[in-house]
Amino acid sequence: MDIRTKGFWYSESAFILFVACLSAGIFAGTHMYYVYHVGAFNEIAIVALLEAGIKGGSFGAAAAFGASFLFARVLEGPLVGILDIGGALQTGVGIGIPALMLAAGLTAPLTSFPLALLTGAVIGAAIGLVILLIRKYTINSSNSTFGSDVMMGAGNAAGRYLGPLIVIAAVMASIPVGIGATAGAAVFYAYKKPIAGGAILGAMIMGLFFPIAK
Amino acid sequence: MEPLIIILESIIIGALVGFGVGAGAARMFHAPTVQGMGAFRTLGELNACEGDSISHFSFGLGFLFNSWASVVGAGALTQDVEHRIIPNWAAATLLWRNKKVEQTLHNPKKMAFAGAIVGMIVVAVMNSTAASIPESMRQVATEVLVPAADWLINPIMPIVFWTAAMDAGKRTGVWGTVLGGLAHLIMGNAVPGIVLGILIGKGVDDSGWNRITKTLVTAVILLFLLSGFFRGFDVELLHSIQVDVPQWLIELHKFVGSEVK
Repeated sequence: MDIRTKGFWYSESAFILFVACLSAGIFAGTHMYYVYHVGAFNEIAIVALLEAGIKGGSFGAAAAFGASFLFARVLEGPLVGILDIGGALQTGVGIGIPALMLAAGLTAPLTSFPLALLTGAVIGAAIGLVILLIRKYTINSSNSTFGSDVMMGAGNAAGRYLGPLIVIAAVMASIPVGIGATAGAAVFYAYKKPIAGGAILGAMIMGLFFPIAK
Repeated sequence: MEPLIIILESIIIGALVGFGVGAGAARMFHAPTVQGMGAFRTLGELNACEGDSISHFSFGLGFLFNSWASVVGAGALTQDVEHRIIPNWAAATLLWRNKKVEQTLHNPKKMAFAGAIVGMIVVAVMNSTAASIPESMRQVATEVLVPAADWLINPIMPIVFWTAAMDAGKRTGVWGTVLGGLAHLIMGNAVPGIVLGILIGKGVDDSGWNRITKTLVTAVILLFLLSGFFRGFDVELLHSIQVDVPQWLIELHKFVGSEVK
């Protein structure tokens, strides 16, 4: 282990703290959605699953979808070194677990803000602990990193595709927006900056003057 | 009274979420030695901005419009808040003063506090304003960034991970291909399957068929069976090979709470 990755902020106990904080926030976000109809941390389509249950239907879809995501990501997280926030926490803790609770008639954690924070924190800490335990019994007790280097390499490589993809999407949206994105990307490249940023700015500036026709 | 409560709760939630996201994102750069938190696409996108403050900021800004429209319209913030806006804006604020990513973006402590501040502001503003963002800008963000991000997740990322699995050796290639194809069938995206394939392939390459790798394979098979069942893959499969779904299977699905069409 190199010297740069020592100390509290890199430690395993800190990881539990971070997952607990994040889960508390996400669960409380679902509380806000339940009470004020605003603030859930997920895509409209996934929140709609929960909404379907709240509106008097079955919570089955939300619970099954959220729980299977949580299970998959908790298993994958420690082995690849990155816990997926979207699948594990936003969908699992934010949608799946609330759906399970509501299906069981347990509304208190979702109606009370302090209780929501506490529930989320406890769930998060438990998830963090499970992940560290899996890590301990797999990576730390064997001499293999289970190909994390391969996956990190692929994760890094995938990001390079984003700039060109944005230009292509802009070109397909409309001619002015496409010209804006192309020019923005070229200018950013010329000044040795990543082209994704230039493409977005160029597209949005042109879109302000020449709105995309519906 | 209610708007005030929404703002107060949003500030607390934003701080908690931002703190976790920031620290988790910085720790991703030290994975697998240190357990990180975020997503492979977040890591890739953070790297794509190459430590340039303006790029990080504009990348986050692009997703802000879409997310804002979503929360105004449906009350849902979209996953972009935690995967893109908070990590990229936290990085942008830190890199503004110090261009060295090793001292800023890769530092969990600095990213945690920057993330907390960004989170407080972003979540509170987004939740409290039924704001009027220029319709034309929101539309560009939706029509340009959303398809680009969708293509990145599918098919670009599956292809990149797939080729990486095949380049890493015969065993990872075979496991990655089989689990990748199955994952795309069952979960709608091949990446989780390919990642698990690399995991198993490399694990067996490095340490052979021992207790850990055997447990891993069992868990993966269980995972595929369970998620296949919960997403109704079994029923769809029977439909597509034109076999009638037996009544006991329909009952079983009903028992765990999912409806069979």
